[in-house]
Amino acid sequence: MSTKPSHQNSQERAWKHAADLFSVLVSRDLKILYKRSSLGFGWALVTPLLQLFIFSFVFRRALRMEVHNYPSFVFIGVLVFGWLQGALSQCGGIITSSKSLVTQPGFPLTLLPHVMVSVRLFHFLIALPILFGLLWCQGIRPAWPWFSIPGLLVVQYLLIVGMAYPLASLNVIFRDTQHIVGVSLQLIMFVTPVFYSLDQVPEQMHPWFYLNPMVGLIQSWRDVLLDGNWPNPVTLLTLSVVGITLLIIGRRTFVAQSHCFVEEL
Amino acid sequence: MNALVKADGLGKTFTAKPTTAKRLHLSSLARPSRTADPFWALRNVSFEVARGEMMGIVGANGAGKSTLLRLLGGIGRPTTGTLEMNGRIGALLELGGGFQGDLTGRENAILAAVVAGLLKSEALELLPEIIRFAELENFIDAPIRTYSTGMTMRLAFAVAVHTEPEIMLVDEFLAVGDLAFQAKCNARIAKLREAGCAIVLVSHGMDQIREQCDRALWLRRGEVVACDTAKAVATYYEQEMREESLRRTPETLPLSTASGTPALRKENRFGSMEMEISGVTLRPGPKLTCGAPLAVEIQFQCPATLDSPIFALSITRPDGMICLDTNTRSARIPIPPLHGDGFIQLTIERLDLAAGAYFINVGVFDSNWSHAYDFHWHMYQIFMEGGSAHKGILAPPNQWTMKLA
Repeated sequence: MSTKPSHQNSQERAWKHAADLFSVLVSRDLKILYKRSSLGFGWALVTPLLQLFIFSFVFRRALRMEVHNYPSFVFIGVLVFGWLQGALSQCGGIITSSKSLVTQPGFPLTLLPHVMVSVRLFHFLIALPILFGLLWCQGIRPAWPWFSIPGLLVVQYLLIVGMAYPLASLNVIFRDTQHIVGVSLQLIMFVTPVFYSLDQVPEQMHPWFYLNPMVGLIQSWRDVLLDGNWPNPVTLLTLSVVGITLLIIGRRTFVAQSHCFVEEL
Repeated sequence: MNALVKADGLGKTFTAKPTTAKRLHLSSLARPSRTADPFWALRNVSFEVARGEMMGIVGANGAGKSTLLRLLGGIGRPTTGTLEMNGRIGALLELGGGFQGDLTGRENAILAAVVAGLLKSEALELLPEIIRFAELENFIDAPIRTYSTGMTMRLAFAVAVHTEPEIMLVDEFLAVGDLAFQAKCNARIAKLREAGCAIVLVSHGMDQIREQCDRALWLRRGEVVACDTAKAVATYYEQEMREESLRRTPETLPLSTASGTPALRKENRFGSMEMEISGVTLRPGPKLTCGAPLAVEIQFQCPATLDSPIFALSITRPDGMICLDTNTRSARIPIPPLHGDGFIQLTIERLDLAAGAYFINVGVFDSNWSHAYDFHWHMYQIFMEGGSAHKGILAPPNQWTMKLA
């Protein structure tokens, strides 16, 4: 029979339980996504690979865009932006689609955005080996700055979760959020240098571009992977501060609103 | 006695004014905002549930039972009053609601146990016991979508009772699986109670309330009508239901059913007549030999669609002694929403009643027993003949054997 929680270690147990809950929910979501498809996790690679081929063809062959190592250049953009897009386009529905979890007494709702962003992180991670292969084929070899990759992942994770919280709570009271987010993400992709380089944008417009946190982030990934440089610490620090601020405010409003979620379901 | 659940003056309103969602809708921007009265789903509800106690909650649909259960589960906040829940809460609200069809029974069981508050290691440790309890040893690695409803319910129930909650919230359960499994569930519930678990049970079945609960709380339109011993509340409730049926019996009740049996309003026929029992056919007929089969066909007319009514049949002696009492709810016969004419038949394989006259009483009730649509009491008579019994009710086949040493 299981051991009952005693009062001394109840805090420790709560953390352990949250971690366990997180892991079973992430694995549940991954299994549901791919369990019955014959290609399985391969589907996680299909979208970025297709985008890679289309962008490479259109911009290199048709539009004759001159960017060095264009396939890896575009693949980095597609993967980094894909994580954001995948997570945010789904975060609207996380409360409304998990009714059975939300109505479970004591279920920590604040876990749901983390679960969803992590599922997308997993997709990102299984595509990374392909990116490394592509870099290798283009003659790019690992360099010391590659050790900053975990740091980049953390910063991006903070940013995405920070945006996921407010969007998730907004969608419960205003169901159109999900659709608006979907459309906006499509548009934002075009004002983010995913398939073009920021150098091709007129200099005087750069400050506007940098308002979009994804611009600095994709820039940092490319600095590290393509050029073998350490990422700009000021950029990373700014992004971290933005991410943490979003996370704190978003989580607060999410918690404050969470008791209304149930009534809206 | 230390109370695990302590509710004091609980109230919950749902405002009918447009919600934030509606206010944000562009279409409603032009309209002036209405200030509607709040709707009190619960009002001034106070009660306590002690360690090891089982509290029943009864009431018609919309009386606030589910709202109360949700509040107890910490889902939503009470508008007024205070609520203390001193212990880990387990819930049997939507059995199997969180299950994922594509995952196996094992994966779902672990998931449900962790969601219910166990650590993964504890869930893995308990899993063999859960599987044994659910009697799913041979199917546990098949996807849930291949399970029957009964199997899914058994698994959900098994997980819920094994997570050892200190307070358990239950919405109409124990209609899980066959009788043997139900007995097992009841035994498990009794064991939980012995271990000090407080149970709050919402039920429509007064027999269940009487048999299992210590106390019961009766809600009507969000307010407490009675909070007393389970027996007392069940009796009040049933009495009220009878009065409600009487009250709803129209003044212009047809004087006889379609088959010509005379009916006297409020004497042997009750009900709101939203649905009418137009005739009862006994086969082979009203004169039966002891041990013979009997089929009772109940013809009905249902002018408007009624949601899953319950058909009931009883056999009584002229003095009112009930010899047989059965209904489609307890037999778990699914009745779809009804509309139009039709019939339902109860077949009794052998009727081993002692010789004498008996009445067949038939009725059809609203889906939560709140009132009768039509109830025919002592209108159809049967006569049993033969049989070896002299007095008493039963006359099953029997023989005497004697042996002298």
